[in-house]
Amino acid sequence: MQESQHGVELIRVSREYTRGGEGVKVFDDVDLSVKPGAFCAMMGPSGSGKSTLLNLVGGLDRPDSGDVIVGDTRLSELGESDLAEWRSENVGFVFQGFNLVPVLTAFENVELPLLLTGLSKAERKEHAMHALELVGMGDRAKHRPGQLSGGQEQRVAIARAIASDPGVILADEPTGDLDFESACQVLDLLGRLHTELGKTILMVTHDPRAAERAERVIHLDKGRINESPAAPDDGFREVKPKEGEGA
Amino acid sequence: MVPLKLIWRNLLRHKLRVLLTAGSLTVAFFLLCVLQALVVSLDQGVKNASKKRLVVQSAVSLFVNLPISYQGKIETVEGVDETMKMTWFGGYYREPANMFAQFAIDADRMETIYSNVELIEGSWDEFKNTRMSCLVGKETANKYGWSVGDRVPIVGMIYPRLDGSEWQFDIAGIYDAGAEASIDDLTMYFHWDYLEEAMEAGATTGADGIGVYSVLLSDGYSQAGVGAEIDSLFENGPQRVQSTPEGEFNAQFVSMVGNVPFFVGTIGMGVLIAILLATLNTMLMSGREQTRDVGVLKALGFDGSAAFWLLLSQSLILCGLGAGTGIFLALGIEGPLQAVLGSNFPGLQINREVLTPAIILAICVALFAGLAPALRARRLTVIEALREEV
Repeated sequence: MQESQHGVELIRVSREYTRGGEGVKVFDDVDLSVKPGAFCAMMGPSGSGKSTLLNLVGGLDRPDSGDVIVGDTRLSELGESDLAEWRSENVGFVFQGFNLVPVLTAFENVELPLLLTGLSKAERKEHAMHALELVGMGDRAKHRPGQLSGGQEQRVAIARAIASDPGVILADEPTGDLDFESACQVLDLLGRLHTELGKTILMVTHDPRAAERAERVIHLDKGRINESPAAPDDGFREVKPKEGEGA
Repeated sequence: MVPLKLIWRNLLRHKLRVLLTAGSLTVAFFLLCVLQALVVSLDQGVKNASKKRLVVQSAVSLFVNLPISYQGKIETVEGVDETMKMTWFGGYYREPANMFAQFAIDADRMETIYSNVELIEGSWDEFKNTRMSCLVGKETANKYGWSVGDRVPIVGMIYPRLDGSEWQFDIAGIYDAGAEASIDDLTMYFHWDYLEEAMEAGATTGADGIGVYSVLLSDGYSQAGVGAEIDSLFENGPQRVQSTPEGEFNAQFVSMVGNVPFFVGTIGMGVLIAILLATLNTMLMSGREQTRDVGVLKALGFDGSAAFWLLLSQSLILCGLGAGTGIFLALGIEGPLQAVLGSNFPGLQINREVLTPAIILAICVALFAGLAPALRARRLTVIEALREEV
C-alpha cells in the first residue's frame, strides 16, 4: 500500500438543502485545507454539516458553488460516471452502520471495490485477503456479516475501504454503533492506516475521545469551521485485540 | 459489471417468496402454452387452407345433403379442375367413446384433390381399386394399433347396418396429412361407392345425396369467381348451393363451438395480468430491500447501470426460471394432451407458434416487473439510498 498524495481542499464552498419547503444553508463560503496524509476528526452538533462535508469530499454530493479538490482532481469537473470511477480509485468509505452487503461473505465484501480495478481473480483474492489480514479478519473471510459482531463488521468495512488502496479514507461515525472495546480497536486500525500507511483520513465523530486520536480536530457549527488541536489521549487507549480476532 | 453471485444471492434472499413467485410463473406459463396450443390448433385448418379449393354445400344447412347429379354440373363450370364427394359417415370403433371422423369419398380422386397427403404405409392403387378399402390418418392408426391389411369394424350411427352388424373396412393405407393442413391425421376416408351399394341393397338407412363437394380449381382461377359461378348455376334449384373457400369453410367449424380463440385468449390475458402483478410485487419488494446495497455499490464506485442491472437481472432470472419450467412442463405434457384432446383439437402441438409468444411474453413480464425497481436503483443517489429506512 502506498502513502497518500491526496490533500483535500474546499474553496468557498456553499451548500444549501431544502427541508420542509425551506432552504437550509449548511455551508456558506467555507474554506478548508487538509494536507496529504493527515488524520482529521470533524465534530459538531447534529445538522452542523459534518456528514455533508464528508459527502462533498467523497464526491457523493456536489456543492452549490465553490470547488472541492482532492489530490489533483477538481471534482466539479467530473461527470457522474467519471466521479464514480474516481471514487473507486481514490476514496474508501467507512460508515457508522457498517453497510456490508448481507448476502456476501466478508471476503466477497472486501473484493467488491476490486472488481472495478481490472485485476485478475487471483490478484483480487490476494489483495482482499491482505486487507482482511491487515484488520485482523483473515480467519473470518468466509463469514457473512450476520455471523460477525459489530466490531468485526466494522473491521471488515475498513478492509473494504482500503482494499483498492485509496488515498483518502472517509469515516462517518465509525465507532457510533460500537461498544467501547470494539470502538478502540476500530480507532486503533484507523490510527495505523494513518501512521503506517500514510492515508489521509477524515473522520466524523460525536465522541471527543474518538476525536482525540486525530492529529487535527475540526469543529463545525452553523456552517462555520473552527479548529482546535487534538487533546492528549485520555479515553480511547490503544487496545490489544482479543486472541483469535487478530489486529 | 455486477458480480453474478451478488445477483443470484439477492434473488434468493427470501427463498420462499421467490419459490412461490417462480411457482406462479410456472403454472401461468404452462397454462398459457396449453391455451395457445388449442387456439393454434383451431386456427391451423383456417390459416393453412388451400387457395385452390372450394367446398360446395347446401345453402340451407351443412346438414342438408346435395343431389348426386350436382357433381357433373359443377364440373362443367369453367375453372373447375376436379371434384370429389364427401359425406360424413359418423361412426365409432367398438365403443361410442372411440369416435373419430370418417368420410365417404370418391376414392379415385382424393390423391388429386389433396395432393400433399402422403401415404406412409400402403398404396394409392390398393385404395383406389379395392371397394372395401380405406385410408386412415397416422394418429388414429397409432392410437388403435392399426396397420395396413387390418380389417377394421366400424359401427355406423348415421348409416347403421339394418342387420345390426358393423361395417367392415380394410386398411389400404395410412396417411400423413403433412402440408395439407386443412385435414388432420385422425380421419378415415373410404369409398362412397361402398356406402351407395349398401344403401341401394337396403342394408343400411341414412340420408340420400352428398354432404359436400370438394372442388379443385384450375390454375389462374379465383375461389370467389368460380364459387359465384357455381352458386349461380343452382340458383333456380332444385336446391341452392353455397360455395365457400376451404379456409372459410374450416372457420365455420371453429365458430360452431363458439368463439373459442376469444374465450381462450381472455382467460390467457387474465392469467398473464395476474402473474404480471405478482412478479411486479416481488420485484418491488426486492428492490426496496436492496436499496442500501445499491447505495453501498454506488459509494464504492459502481455506476447507475450496475445498480440497474442488479435489479433487472434478478427479474430476468426469476421469470426465466419460472416461465421456463412452465414451458418445459407444457412440452413434456404434449403427448398426453394429444391423446386426451387430439380428436377435438387435431394437430395439437406445443410448437414454435406456441413457444415463440410464450418466450416473448416471459421477457415482457421480466422487463415490466424489473424495470421499475431497476430504474429506481439507477436514479437513487448514494445519500438517498443509504438514508432510506428499509
